[in-house]
Amino acid sequence: MADNISGNENSGSVSLLAVFPDLGPAADAIEKLRDLGLSDDQMNVISGIPATEAMLGRPNQWTNVPRLAAGGAVLGFFGGAFLTFVSPFLYPVPIQVGTQGIVPGPPTVVVLFELTMLGMLLSTFLGVFLDSYFPNYRPMEYVKEISDGKIAVFFICPGENCEKFTKAMTALGAEKVEAAEVFHL
Amino acid sequence: MADHKNHAGHAEEHFREKHLMLDPLPRGQMNDMVMESMHTTSWKFWVVFAILSAIVGYGLFYSWGTMIAEGLGIAGVNRPSYWGIFLVNTVFWIGISHAGTFISAILRVFKAEFRRPFTRAAELMTTFGLVQAGFSVFMHMGRVWLAYWLMPYANQRMLWPNLHSPLTWDLLAITTYLLSSTMYLFLPLIPDLAMARDRSTGWRKTFYKTLALGFRGTEGEWAHLRNAMNIFAFAIIPVMFSVHTIVSWDFAAATRPGWNSSIFGPYFVVGALHSGMGAVIMVLAVVRATMKHMKYFIRPEHFDAIAKLMLIISMAWAYFFFNDYMVQWYGGDKWTHQLLHFHEAGPLGWMWFAMLIFNIAIPWAVLWNQKWRSTPWIVFIVGFFINIGMWFERYIIVPISLSINRMPFTWRMYEPGVEIPLGIGTLAFFILLYMGASKLIPLIPVWEVEEGQMAHELKKFGRETVVSVSELE
Repeated sequence: MADNISGNENSGSVSLLAVFPDLGPAADAIEKLRDLGLSDDQMNVISGIPATEAMLGRPNQWTNVPRLAAGGAVLGFFGGAFLTFVSPFLYPVPIQVGTQGIVPGPPTVVVLFELTMLGMLLSTFLGVFLDSYFPNYRPMEYVKEISDGKIAVFFICPGENCEKFTKAMTALGAEKVEAAEVFHL
Repeated sequence: MADHKNHAGHAEEHFREKHLMLDPLPRGQMNDMVMESMHTTSWKFWVVFAILSAIVGYGLFYSWGTMIAEGLGIAGVNRPSYWGIFLVNTVFWIGISHAGTFISAILRVFKAEFRRPFTRAAELMTTFGLVQAGFSVFMHMGRVWLAYWLMPYANQRMLWPNLHSPLTWDLLAITTYLLSSTMYLFLPLIPDLAMARDRSTGWRKTFYKTLALGFRGTEGEWAHLRNAMNIFAFAIIPVMFSVHTIVSWDFAAATRPGWNSSIFGPYFVVGALHSGMGAVIMVLAVVRATMKHMKYFIRPEHFDAIAKLMLIISMAWAYFFFNDYMVQWYGGDKWTHQLLHFHEAGPLGWMWFAMLIFNIAIPWAVLWNQKWRSTPWIVFIVGFFINIGMWFERYIIVPISLSINRMPFTWRMYEPGVEIPLGIGTLAFFILLYMGASKLIPLIPVWEVEEGQMAHELKKFGRETVVSVSELE
């Protein structure tokens, strides 16, 4: 799903924004936009709370975060494996600790666990950055009311039909429907 | 009939007054309240800030500088107590740090709704507590400029850290925990930083804009955040357990009387939660009393809920303590008996009894009562005693237990030197960091509170009104 949608001035399409006070009207508006011929790729919802796809009647969002987390865990595991299985043999004379083997069992579990978890959590964190294109300080379509709990539906309307879209959104309870402006956030 | 209606109306009003989740305000108003709490600073704040800065300047930086210049000799650690207050403080601060993860991750996983307004206040304690733990370990190290020798790479002599040593596991575990708890603090903070960005001007605008990373609240951004927070909530719990378990192995892996115990891992984890929960309740009481609008967000119901957890944890701590004591006492080893007797009847025996009174007797005597549990100043005092008691516990485990051993000719009481100003310095630095953060970071996760308020409603079953919670995720 596109996080950014914008109208194409050459084709006469315009990016509009409708601000709703609540989730219910916003979900109705999305359904109406579909009825009016827009596809899910041509709209986006911005909200101040984590409204789920099911609440809004939207298709599931693709996220790479769990896959990146798994990848990070594997990398972390191999990092731990290097430390435990390889580094003891990098000494000219490997160190013998008491009766423990050169690669001791229980301490190996500890090191593998910590580095696997570190790899997983670091890559989860980085995954949010990668998937969300953070940090992103370019001008973006936004309205400040969103952080006050409003729900904004952005959509592209073909230029000649904008009035029809605006009326439909207003009828469904939109507090305002206007051309989407870009801001330096 | 009219009486019944009146009764139902009163019941609803009572519920709304009592529960934050049933007393919603418009999101914009809650945002304003949180922003105002950050912007409103009285002269008293600055006086306390200045005093703490002076203590940090002397206690932490000057004293540490002196120790670096003159060497560890000005500290009290010496044969037989080579481990002293520095390691007491390390264990203590790591313990404090456990509360943030416990409240934020475990309660999130179990969907305990009362957690919502104070997860961030608790998470901040984790990060700032770990900073003090790190300082304390570096102080113990003495030659702190050689700290990088611990890092897992070959040094100039091609020596790798010894991965057989619990101290190396400590480095890995504490580093993992510090990084992951800081990331876990930051992720749910992003939407609130965006809120603050939208309502700020000047340097604050630049500050929030930079940290909010351009967050707008698109479906994709929320989906990625939600996924990441779920992964963190589940994954950080075993990390939290591993950290204090590994800290306990620093002791338990040694074949010393009093230390060589297979129950030390869970005993330390429960002890960490005990002091951590006590510290959380103290912080919340102070935040509620001193910051504007916090009485709306942090209510007696929250103190009641945390205090119940404190009571359960106190019972668990008593169980583990007695289990550890019983097995050591029953074993019949001469030196262990000597040590146990030294704990109870030695020159610092008063500390052993105070530990039991502060950690068990006081919480059990007070926290059974709902009215007392819901009174912030009462639970603040209980939390304070628990923290003193838990610090005593660590003092007993570290320098007191080291004072006597199997070689009586080495017996000597530990007398701290520069450790005292350094310890006070870390405490002051923790409070100072927290005070600074309270003016820069929205302490209340407003979006989480709003989400919780959306999920709660009052339902009627016959004539009874009950609270009903919907599962939104």
